[in-house]
This record gives sequence, structure tokens and C-alpha cells, in this order.
Amino acid sequence: MIIAMTKVRILGPRERLPDVLRVLQDLGVLHLAAPTVAQPLEPLKLSSRQERERHRLRNALEDIERALAELGVEPGAGMPSGTATTAELARWVRLAWQVRRSVERLKLQAAGLEEERALILKYQHFFSAFQSLLESEARLPNATAYHVLLKAGDTDAIQRMRTSLKSVIGEEFQLFSQLLPTGETAVLVIVSAQAAGRVERLLSEARVQEIPVPQQYGGGGVSLTDAIPRMIERLGDLPEEEQRVRQERAALARLHGETLRRARLALNDRLKELEALPFSGLTPRAFVLEGFVPAPARATLESRLASAFGEDVVVDELSREEWQSDNAPVVLSNPRLFRPFETLIRLMPLPQYGTIDPTPFVAVFFPAFFGLMLGDVGYGIALALLGLLLHARSKPGTLLRNVSEIIGPCALFSIIAGFLYGELFGDLGRRVFGLRPLAFSREEALIPFLLLAVALGAVHIVLGLVLGAVANIHRHPRKALGSGLSAVMIVLIVLALLAAVDVLPHGFFTPVVVALLVAFPVLIVLEGVVAPIELLSTVGNILSYARIMALGVASVMLAVVANRMVGAIGSVAVGIVFALLFHLVNFAIALFSPTIHALRLHYVEFFGKFYSPGGVRYEPFGHWTRREEPA
Amino acid sequence: MTTLFTVLAAALAVAIPALATAWAQSRIGPAIAASMAEKPELSTTAVLMIAIPETMVILGFVVAVLILFGKTV
Repeated sequence: MIIAMTKVRILGPRERLPDVLRVLQDLGVLHLAAPTVAQPLEPLKLSSRQERERHRLRNALEDIERALAELGVEPGAGMPSGTATTAELARWVRLAWQVRRSVERLKLQAAGLEEERALILKYQHFFSAFQSLLESEARLPNATAYHVLLKAGDTDAIQRMRTSLKSVIGEEFQLFSQLLPTGETAVLVIVSAQAAGRVERLLSEARVQEIPVPQQYGGGGVSLTDAIPRMIERLGDLPEEEQRVRQERAALARLHGETLRRARLALNDRLKELEALPFSGLTPRAFVLEGFVPAPARATLESRLASAFGEDVVVDELSREEWQSDNAPVVLSNPRLFRPFETLIRLMPLPQYGTIDPTPFVAVFFPAFFGLMLGDVGYGIALALLGLLLHARSKPGTLLRNVSEIIGPCALFSIIAGFLYGELFGDLGRRVFGLRPLAFSREEALIPFLLLAVALGAVHIVLGLVLGAVANIHRHPRKALGSGLSAVMIVLIVLALLAAVDVLPHGFFTPVVVALLVAFPVLIVLEGVVAPIELLSTVGNILSYARIMALGVASVMLAVVANRMVGAIGSVAVGIVFALLFHLVNFAIALFSPTIHALRLHYVEFFGKFYSPGGVRYEPFGHWTRREEPA
Repeated sequence: MTTLFTVLAAALAVAIPALATAWAQSRIGPAIAASMAEKPELSTTAVLMIAIPETMVILGFVVAVLILFGKTV
């Protein structure tokens, strides 16, 4: 159900506007709308000082969000903001800026240390491979060393290098190589100082790159031999520095976390107050505010304003003719049992105010379609257990809790349908426990199952058309008539078909066809030349419900195949393992596929007949809550 | 011979729409994935878009069932 809204106009002396806004913010029920009255009202525009304040608040809030996220402060509600003074707001803006800078500095330091560790570790294999050789190089004062890495997989590279060096400088070199765990080959070439120039030219021509010494350990001016001890020493110092950064961050979180959370509430509240101001209309002496209130909350609004301002502030209710339903916000309110299914409605744009909330219909038909597709006592029980587990692990009001509460009815319908089809893990129930179908077996009675699915489709679509007629009866009477007539024609088509195949007495056939022929031109007059196409597409929508049968049969066939594995694969134990695995896969498919297709039948086929999306979300002017936090 | 043609017709009734569905989903999948990268709120649309072409193969399956068992209506 969509809660009825009342549009109210609040009038009062201009100087009381900030106080009135504060009371409204505390109450949190008024969805503000721009005033509809023109002259002599003028819309309130924020002064340049207020614009600057808004800009500053937004920047500060961004600082706070970043700082809180970086500090890993638990996203609790924080303390109630109360009324923050201007001095407090200014202090918090400064604090937000300072903490964000500190947090970013620490983040940069942590990233730098991480990078340095990765760099040193990159060299580590090389150190261990050549440590002793590098030391021997250090003992040869007239020798020059070249450290190169050869790509993995090039097995002949060492030999080619050795041959090339021999051809350029003869025997005056020593070459050591070591295969690294990464697959690359580390090569150390030691040559006499006189031959260094020729070797460098050779390496350059062969495009073999020397391992560069990192800048922070001496860069190009220092040899790897000198750099390595420094790098190893640095590697030992890193954990201490990383610990220091972590401690500094934890100290920041302890010192400012709670203050920042409180600041976030206060700054958001002030920002909301500033953003509410342009919804006011002003005369030289008075202000006007307009907005929507859920009808049951109107009395509270009036009494709260009366107790705060006496007769200074007046609340008027606007008559229904004075406002358009397109602008009214939408609040869905359903009985406890149906409420979890609002989650499925919220996946679509909200319905417009004054139209129909489809939640109760979805709450009945979605589990029914799901159950008919899954239709297995065993899978139903497994699904119920999964739902209970999710319910136990979730908090009230969360998406997971809603999903667990949707799973409950789906599991129940699956178990009921399982008894109707006589299925427990496919044909296992029949073979082991002697379970018999109460209605029909899906494995054998394919045509009756198909007829059941299409009949359900006809009922669902006719219901959709009737809802379309009801929803449009005041707003678009012509459309409502067209929708109603389409529903009647669908019923007539079904009756004609039943009479044609002698399910109904054959005498029905002629009058029903005559009625169809009369209704058809009327439908064209009401809906235009597209009416025949619309009618055909409606018949197509009904046939689309055949997917209930198709998916149901696929599900039972997979379960039967799983059971047959026990006998088909030599060892019984192996067969049981395979059968269990196959049932598990089938269960996973059976959760996913019926959900998607039951949703599709609702969103495309059913909603297409009456649903009017484009409703405005109810966003009452109130205190900031975590739910409004930017994603 | 009639049985052979009946079975072949039923197989084709499923196979051809299955190929068409696969082709349609191969085009829709990347497109909707790219859209969702920019607008994650399109996830509902994504589910519907992927499910829509499956109607073809489902109706093909129904036709195959009617070809094989239709005489019992």
C-alpha cells in the first residue's frame, strides 16, 4: 500500500524561519516542496555568505569521510549532534582538514614503506645468489662488475653471452650465472677495468640491461656491491617504521574518531538546514513553507509547531485539487508478512503516488511461481535451512534479513509443490520412501504441467490488466477502459479455446467468438490502431509463463540424472559422491534460475500491465542518518 | 522414419532457439556489463536483459514437448 500524503503550507513571521526549520528538522516528517503560491512571495536565495558556508561544509564533510574511512573508525551512529554552535562548527571544519592531512601523510608514508619493501624483496633473490661473488668482486680493486638479469626460458643466452664476450675481450673476464626462483637468470660479469668500455658497448648493442641500483641507495654512482648491505640493513628497519605509522594512525583514531563522527552529524545537519532554506517563500514580513506529510503524521506536525510557536506559526492543509500527485513522495507500507518483498519492488523505480503498490501481489505470486519451478520437498527443506541460517546471521532491517524472509515462503511453496509432484530430491522419494504425487508427476505429465503454467499466466495477466484498469480509473479513464476490455477479451479467448477443445460445452464457442468480434473494434476505438498488437503481445505474455513448466522439468530431470549416477558408476560410494555433487549443482541452479525467471515474469509481464514507475522518494527534512551516507 | 523426423524436429525446435539465445546473450552480456561498470544501479535491468532472450529457448522447449507428446492433449 502507498501511504496517503497530505500537502501542508506553513506560514509564520519571517524572523522565526530558522527556529521553525529547526523544529521541523527535529520532527523529521515534512518532505519539503517548492511553494506553489506566486506573488507576492519570492523564493529565498542563499546569501553569498551562506553559499560560502555551504561550500565549506561540503569540503569539510569530504575531509571527514576520507579521514574516517582511512582511520577505519567503526561506522556507528555517533553521539546525537544537539545544536552545534557556530564556533564548534568552525572548529570541526578546521579539525577535519587537519586530520585529513595527517591521515593522508601517514597513508603516503605507509605506501612508501610498502613500495620500498617490495623493491628490496625484488633484489633479494639476486643478493642471495651472488652474495659471496659480490664480496670477491669487492676484493678486486681493478675489476669492474656488471650485473644483468636474463629473461626466463632463454636457455642459450648464457652461452651466447660467453661467446660474444670472448670475441670482444678474449679471456679477460669471469662470468657467473645463477637460476633464480622466478625463472630468470642472474648473471655477474667481472672484467678488468681496461676492458670495461668494450663490454659496456657490447651489452648496449645486445640490449642487455644492467640491474640498476635504486636511487635511494646511491643510484648510478654506487655499485650494487655497496648498495646491497644498505638495502639489507634497511629491510631490517622497515617493520619498526611500519609499526610507528600504524601506531600514529591508531592514536589519531583514538583522539579524534568520536569527535569526527559527532562533527559529521552536526555538519550534515547544518548543511541540510542550509539546503532547506531555498524551499521557503518570503514576503517582507512572513515566510511560507510547503511540503508533504504522511496523513497520519499531520496532527503531530501541527501540535509540535503549535506548542513551540503558539499562534505565530500556522499550518494549513492544501486541498487535493491544489497539488499534483506526480510531485507527491511515495512511502510503501505493508503488513509484516509482505514487507520483505518491498525489497523486490525497490529494485525497480518506485511506483507513482496514487497508483498501485504491487508488493502484496508479488508476495503471493513470487513464492508461488518459485515453488512451482523448484517443486521438491528435499530442495525445499534445504532452502528453508539456508533461509534460517541467513536469518540467524543477519541484523533486522538489512538486505540479508529481507532476503532470508523472502526465502521462507519460497521454501514453503517449494515443499508444498514437492508433495503435489511427489518429488524428494527428484525421484528418490518415490524409489526409497514410496512418495506418490498428490497432483501429477512432472517427469511424465508434461502437457498438464504446461497447461497449468499457461493457465497461471492467464490469471496473473488478467489480474494485471484489472489492476491497470483500477489504477487509471480516475487519472486516465480511457486507458482504464482499454485495460479492462483487454482483460475481458483475454478471458473470452481462454473460454473460446476451452470450448474448442470440448473442455467447456461446445455451445459456448459461438457466443464467445461473437462477443470477441464485438469487443475488438471497441478496443481499437479506445486504444487506437496499436490495440491488436497490444492484444497479441498480451497473449505472448501469457505464453511466456510456459517457462514455469520448462524450468520445472529441467530441474526434476537433473535431479533424476543425479540419482541414476549411483547405479551407473561402478562403485556405489563413488556414485553417491557424484550424485551428491550433482544434486548440489542442481540446487545452486535451482536457486538462481527460478528467482531470475519469477522476477522477470513480474517485472516484464505482470508490471507491464499496470505499473507506473517514476514515484518520488520520500525524503523528509530531518537529522542526517547513516543511511543517507554517500555510496 | 516418421519417428526419426519427429525427434529431429523436436531437437531442432530446441537447438535453433538455443543458438539464437546464446548469440543474443553474447551481445547483451558485454553491453550490460559495461553499463553496470558506469551505473551499478542498473543491476536489475541487467538481470532482465539477460533473462529476456531465454524466452526463445524456453518456448522452443515447449514446442519440442508439444511435438513429442502433443498427441496426448
